[in-house]
Amino acid sequence: MMQNDIILAVEHIDFRYREKKILDDLSFSVHSGDICGLLGPNGSGKTTLLKCINRILKNETGSIRINGRDIATLSRGEIAGLIAVVPQELNIMFPFTVLQMVLMGGNGRFGFSGIPGRKDYSDAIEVLEELSIDHFAERRYNQLSGGEKQMVLIARALFQRSEIMLLDEPSSHLDFKRQYTIMELIKKITADKNLTTIITLHDPNIAGRYCNRLIMLNDGCIVHQGLRDHVFQAESLGAIYDMRIKIENTDSGAEYVLPDYIQ
Amino acid sequence: MRNKSAFIIIIILLIICVMFALTTGQYHIRLETLWKVVSLKLLGKTPGDGLATPSMVLWSVRMPRVLMAILAGAALSVGGVVFQGIMRNPLVSPSFLGVNHGAIFGASLSIIFFSKSAFSIESFAFFWAVAAVALVYIIGNRGVNTITTLVIAGVIVSTFFMAAGSFLKYVADPYEDLPAIVYWTMGGLNNILWVNVIRAFVIIGIGITVIYMFRWRLNLMAIGDEEAMSMGVNVNRARVMYMLFATMIVAAGSSSCGIIMWVDLIVAHISRMIVGSDHEVLIPFAAILGAAFLLFTDTIVRILPGGEIPISIITSFMGAPLLGYLLMKQNNEWKG
Repeated sequence: MMQNDIILAVEHIDFRYREKKILDDLSFSVHSGDICGLLGPNGSGKTTLLKCINRILKNETGSIRINGRDIATLSRGEIAGLIAVVPQELNIMFPFTVLQMVLMGGNGRFGFSGIPGRKDYSDAIEVLEELSIDHFAERRYNQLSGGEKQMVLIARALFQRSEIMLLDEPSSHLDFKRQYTIMELIKKITADKNLTTIITLHDPNIAGRYCNRLIMLNDGCIVHQGLRDHVFQAESLGAIYDMRIKIENTDSGAEYVLPDYIQ
Repeated sequence: MRNKSAFIIIIILLIICVMFALTTGQYHIRLETLWKVVSLKLLGKTPGDGLATPSMVLWSVRMPRVLMAILAGAALSVGGVVFQGIMRNPLVSPSFLGVNHGAIFGASLSIIFFSKSAFSIESFAFFWAVAAVALVYIIGNRGVNTITTLVIAGVIVSTFFMAAGSFLKYVADPYEDLPAIVYWTMGGLNNILWVNVIRAFVIIGIGITVIYMFRWRLNLMAIGDEEAMSMGVNVNRARVMYMLFATMIVAAGSSSCGIIMWVDLIVAHISRMIVGSDHEVLIPFAAILGAAFLLFTDTIVRILPGGEIPISIITSFMGAPLLGYLLMKQNNEWKG
């Protein structure tokens, strides 16, 4: 299979919070159309890395390039045009409706004063229809369940119409079935909309099943990275989680990660 | 649809309040007299003998006062909505960030050391109210996720100005200056002249127009700093802009009318309950409702038996229990 072009190139970035080094000399690249999973234990720097890619946090050294453009030279609006974010869990103080939440994603296109037009409203409803959640357009975001909120945030990211979508543990608050339905949806929209998706995950089984590229972090460093088939192995997973892991094959050929021995 | 009827109702309410305010008072003016005087004025004619007194009462006393109440009510309420939005807290008001104590300090300075003229008091109050919020911003701004530090800085600056204001009251001449300060802090629209209205109109007009232009982006600010940034908002610049114009209009209202408590908080809160959180409708709704609310309370204050009392007493008496009631009723809504 021919590899697509590199869309995101991260080169030698460091990030320090006060004295503590959170990210240590990270370099990797993500290709257009990838679903790239960031795996690693709590505190390994996954979320910090996502925030650096989105330039919420500023890396001290190195560069992050999207389509060859260094994001340090881009305005907030330009970055929003390239990257949309689906946060881990978003609770808000004010009772905005689902439609209003989705519309916010289009802010970058709304011109100088940032007010959506009639067409923007109908476009936002169209996105809700695509995800089959248009029936709660007028419901209040705060009153939705965790899974429904996640869908709304994905709809908002789609309405932002950026090339790259960053998701921070989208499945961690969801029940067993919804973890998979949300990942199926992410896989489908990544392909249908020609997106590139970068996603932090806790569950290696989900990562192994849905990601074609993996970056494995531990203590702020990349331990393993590459195409899923090259790095999704018991030893590399064991190294990042500091435990013995075995991978078993089911009859259908799917691979499952199981803890073998927990220290 | 629901919002449309809510707008129609409060616009009618405001018109009724205006007519009530213009006709009621120590000198009663009948509705038909009001109509005659206004139409003569619009046609550029001089009122005849019979209409000279009502015309004088209307144009020199009541009209400026009514317009000022409308301007200040709209300014305080829009200021309240903006601060609640950028602070992401429905119980925040501009006074949290030192606007009121800064204004009181400024007014006291003017009364004791400079002049008791309305212009001087107004200018000092305006300057120190804006300075207090600027100080809050300098102390509390931490870039992203700066809300808590701003609120703490607001408490610090308010406390400082409160202490400085108390010191000024302590050294003030107890026969002349002290009553003037105390009276000013309780708020009132009884000394409003056309010149005050024009000054306030310019500042409040500019402030509300700018805020209204950028009303939709306040929605993003109300969700969260990182969220707003991810969707392309330059959060620091936007926050400075909203704080600047919101402070400007609130300071313009307070400096002309003295400290009027609760209007900002209560009107913003009730408006949210009626039209929801979308600033697209919330800003204009709060402006009209605030104008009607302040005009109504000011008229009540004027016609109370036993003479006029400071308006803050009424707004606080009405505002505090109403907000308490709403808070109990709305408990579930704000849990998030």
